[in-house]
Order: sequence, then C-alpha cells, then structure tokens
Amino acid sequence: MARKSVLQFFGVLFGLGLLMACSLISPETSFAATHPEGLGAGRPMCSECHTTDVSKGALKPYASFDHTQTFVKSHKYQANQDANACASCHAQSFCSDCHGGKVPMKPAIRLSDSPDRLAPHRGDYLTLHKMEGKMDPSSCYTCHGRANNDKCRACHR
Amino acid sequence: MKRHNLVALLATLMSATAWGQEVSLYGTTMAQMWKSEVGLDKATYTPATQYLGIDANKLGSDNLSLHLFGWGRTDLSDSSNLDGSKTAGYLNFGYLQYRFNQANAEVKAGRFTVNQGTGFEQVDGVSLRTDLRGGFTLSAFGGKPVLYKTVDPTAQKDYDLQRDFIFGTRLGWRIPKIGEIGLSYLQDGTKAAKDLTIPSSVDYTRKQMGVDLLIAPAPAFQLRGRTIFDLADHLALPAGTEKPSNIAEHDYTAIFKFGSKVTLSANVAERNFYAYFAGTNLPSLFRQDEKDKYKGYGGALTVSATDNLQLIGDFRHMNRESFGDVNRVGGEVRYASTEKHYMAGLGARSVSASKTIQVDPTAPGRSLSHTEFRAWTMIERKKLSLSLDGIVQQFKEGNPYLNGLTSLYEVVASVGFKATENLKVSGDISRGSTPVAKDETRGLLRAEYRFGFGKKGGQ
Repeated sequence: MARKSVLQFFGVLFGLGLLMACSLISPETSFAATHPEGLGAGRPMCSECHTTDVSKGALKPYASFDHTQTFVKSHKYQANQDANACASCHAQSFCSDCHGGKVPMKPAIRLSDSPDRLAPHRGDYLTLHKMEGKMDPSSCYTCHGRANNDKCRACHR
Repeated sequence: MKRHNLVALLATLMSATAWGQEVSLYGTTMAQMWKSEVGLDKATYTPATQYLGIDANKLGSDNLSLHLFGWGRTDLSDSSNLDGSKTAGYLNFGYLQYRFNQANAEVKAGRFTVNQGTGFEQVDGVSLRTDLRGGFTLSAFGGKPVLYKTVDPTAQKDYDLQRDFIFGTRLGWRIPKIGEIGLSYLQDGTKAAKDLTIPSSVDYTRKQMGVDLLIAPAPAFQLRGRTIFDLADHLALPAGTEKPSNIAEHDYTAIFKFGSKVTLSANVAERNFYAYFAGTNLPSLFRQDEKDKYKGYGGALTVSATDNLQLIGDFRHMNRESFGDVNRVGGEVRYASTEKHYMAGLGARSVSASKTIQVDPTAPGRSLSHTEFRAWTMIERKKLSLSLDGIVQQFKEGNPYLNGLTSLYEVVASVGFKATENLKVSGDISRGSTPVAKDETRGLLRAEYRFGFGKKGGQ
C-alpha cells in the first residue's frame, strides 16, 4: 500500500513536472530546416543579404557567420552555440570531412584538390607534429585526445 | 558498440531509407598508391577507400529524417593496417532525427557527434534540445561513448569498465542586445579508476563543468570563449605534492570589425594539463600525471584590400612551463576572382622556439625553429578543374627528428573533370621529401558522386 502511494506521489510529481516543462517551451517557430535560397560557390557572406538586425531572438549579428578566414578558424564557438544555423546549409557529413572521429586518411589528403580549404596537416606533418606537440600538446588533444587509434598507438605507447 | 548491435542499427537505418520521400546518397571513392622503404623492408600500398553517406528526409512525417555516413577500405596489395588485416571500416554517424516545428526542438537517436559546452564526443544514444521561454535553451544527451579499440586490447583492459556511460547537458541564456551565457556539465563513465575492484593507475573517466559566453553588443565587436572546470575526484597524489588547479582551460577570442574591410581577432588560452587531459586514453602522449601548463596568446589581422584580394597577418606566442617560449609569426595573401573560377594563395610562417631541455648530457638540446612557405592555385574552366599546392619547411638547425635533412617539401597536383552536375572524377599526384620517405611519390584517383534531391552541402 505504501509502495503504491509512493508511486502515485512520483506519478503526480512527474505529471506536474512535465506540464511545467511544456509551459516553459518557447512558442517561437523553429529555424528553417534548409536555407531557402541556393548559395553561390565559395565561402558565403551572410551579411551580403542579411542585415545585422537580430532574427528571432538569435541575438547574433549575421556578420559573425561570414565565412572569412577568422570564421573558419573560430567556427567551433558558433557550432557549439548555434548548430541549427550551421544545419540550415550544411549536412553533418560536411563536418565529418575533418571531424570524423576516426578517419582513414588525413583531411589534407582527402581534400587535396581543395587547397583553399584550411585543411590541417599539409606537407610533411608526420615530422612536424612532433614539434607542434612539444610546443602545445593541447592543440592536438582538441581533435585527437580521445581518438585512440592504432596509428597514434604505434609510436605513443 | 558491439558488432551485432551495429549491424542491427545499420539494418534499421537502411530500411528506413526505403520510405523516405527525399533521399540523397553521396559518396567518394578513392584509390591511392605509394611505396615505402624503411631499412630492408619494402612495401607497396594500394588502399581503396569508399566513403558513403545517406540523408533521407520526410520519413512518413515531414520532420523525421535519417542521416548515415561511414567509410570502408580494402588494401589491394600490402596491408596498410597495423594489425596486418587488409580491410577496415567505420560508421561515423547513423541516427534518426525528429525536428519539431516549434522552439528549434529536436530529438536524435543512434550514433551522433555532440559538440556542446565541454566536449566534442561521439555517442551511441539519445540527444534532445529545445528553446525555452525567456531566451533559455536546454540540451542534453546520454548513452554509451564510442570507444576506439586498439590492436592490443590489453592496453585498454580498464577502458570498457570505466567508460560505461556518458551524459552531458547545457543550459544557455540569451540576453537581448548583450549575448549569451551557457553552463554545461559532462560526465563520461561512472566508475573512476580508484573505484574499480582492482584500482587502475589510469583514469579514463571525466567529470567536467563548463561556462561558455558570447558578448556581442554590436556587430563591430564580439567576445567568445569558455572556461572548463575539472570536477573529478582523482587518485591521491604523493605526500608533499602541491594540489593542481581544478581549472582545466580558459580559451577566449575577441573579434573587432573595422568597417567591412578589416577584422582583428585576438585569442588568449591557458590550460592546466593535469585537469585538461583528465580522461585521455593516450596517457603516454597527453600525460594526466603531468603538472605542466600551457599559456598562449595571439591575434590575426584580416584586410580585404579589394573585393578579390585578402591579406592576413597573424602572430601567436606560446609558453609551456617545461619547454619554454615559442613565437609563430606569418602572413598570407589570398586572391579569388569574382566568379571564383580562379583562386590562389601565398603564405609564409616563421616559428622561433627555445631549445628543448637538455635531459641527457650526451644529447644536447635542440631548437625546433623553422620556416614554412606555401603557395597554391586552383582553376575551374567549365568542366575542368586544376589545382597545384606546394609547401616547403626549412629548419634552422640539425634535429634528430629530421634524419639529417634540413629542408622538407611536398607538391600536390590535381586534375579533375566534372562529367555531370553530380559526378566528378579527379586524379592527384604528389611528390615530396620527408625524414620518413626521403623521396616519395604518391598517386590518388577520386570519384565523387551524388544522387537524389538533397539540397544541403554535405560534400
């Protein structure tokens, strides 16, 4: 009997919690699933078409998404906070080109016909990475920290 | 994920595509060839790799979709796998996604990548996100972390035991006309090294809390960054050892825009390895027991001199307590024709580094200072595309890493033909000189194709 009461208590609590959670959900319409217009070749400049006014409470000037050299190097912040904005143009496979987690070849080989992309590890990076690792090992860890693949293990036992 | 679970997941996902109203399939097939000669060992490698992705939208409902991406490889001559096998493959992601029409809400289930707050993780599980009233956003994920197996499983015998479950959540708050602040938590594993029946010396688990912020009061200025705290209860340190800080990382970037032509970015980062590397599965490389610290700051100035020409100058100072100071300075010039049919770039970077610490009196300290020059060009004329990319690294003095060489280079030339809008074939040839292969030539054939109705830029 006591067990049933406890279950009822938690049942009511769960129901109330659910109602409260639903009342907290934003009534705003979702971000468009895909960009409404096709974009030209090369890196897009969002601010060419969009004003710097904020849209739908996103509070981010569109100029922050312009795909300049600065954006390419710091896009981790936008991806972290605004994945939906990225997803309106990019499928996740686009991210996997570089952030695959486990890849059979380094991005610079896979994308060797696109030298304009800032694919890391061009040239003799096998030699250079020993030095980069000495200077700043956390720069390697950002991408490879948990990717304990055999190629790393061959030397780093 | 166990193999039979993976097969079941794949079968479910693949069958789901059959009732998708909008299916796009894309792939890249690559065949490589290179020769290697190390001492008396000679080998010829000819791996063929297939990347394959599927996006199936409108699966019964307009909001339900399926996303799948992975690769497989087979070696046509000598094995390029370290375990001697000639085949390999991997599922990068495979998940069903439901997007709600309201509140940017979505649910994902399957294998997916998470990038929120503290971690960049691959998870087999479920993730949820939604916008709340008042500018709040809430996201969470949970499941089994994707584990990378090594050839020698005994080296990871405690790995599965410790990393049994991963959970993460982030609560964000967007403040009108100011920016956004987020609070996140990540727990990877429930049994820390010290809690195992036989305690382990390596702790793969993590408990981290992060604070991320964006301050963007005007289009001309924004500040982004994060601080991560290590909340894990670590193994007791030897008596007399100073307790390391629980602050794992500070990483902040400020961006200033002067009109539409000039952008200045500045970054400052500080990492405490003891806390930052907590949970690494490469302890020999990212040493958890290391008390070392990294501090770095730098900046980049980007000037759009004309509509077609961009000039970039950058500088970075790095410091490791155990290694010393390093300064990297350089610049780049980029040109792109208005129609993007012709693009070119030219860059140079110089790295001046302290000599490595002399541990062995018979092996003197050495400098890692070097200079790098790079030039590349791309041309697209109708169905034909050409690219040429050359890079040279010039080292200041002899170094045991360099095997007697002081200058290394690599040149890659590529020719492509776009047969149709959805099919492109290309071939690369590269030549270089490295300490591993003093005279190396590589070939690569590539076929990229896409079928279906998908609009997004997947590839």
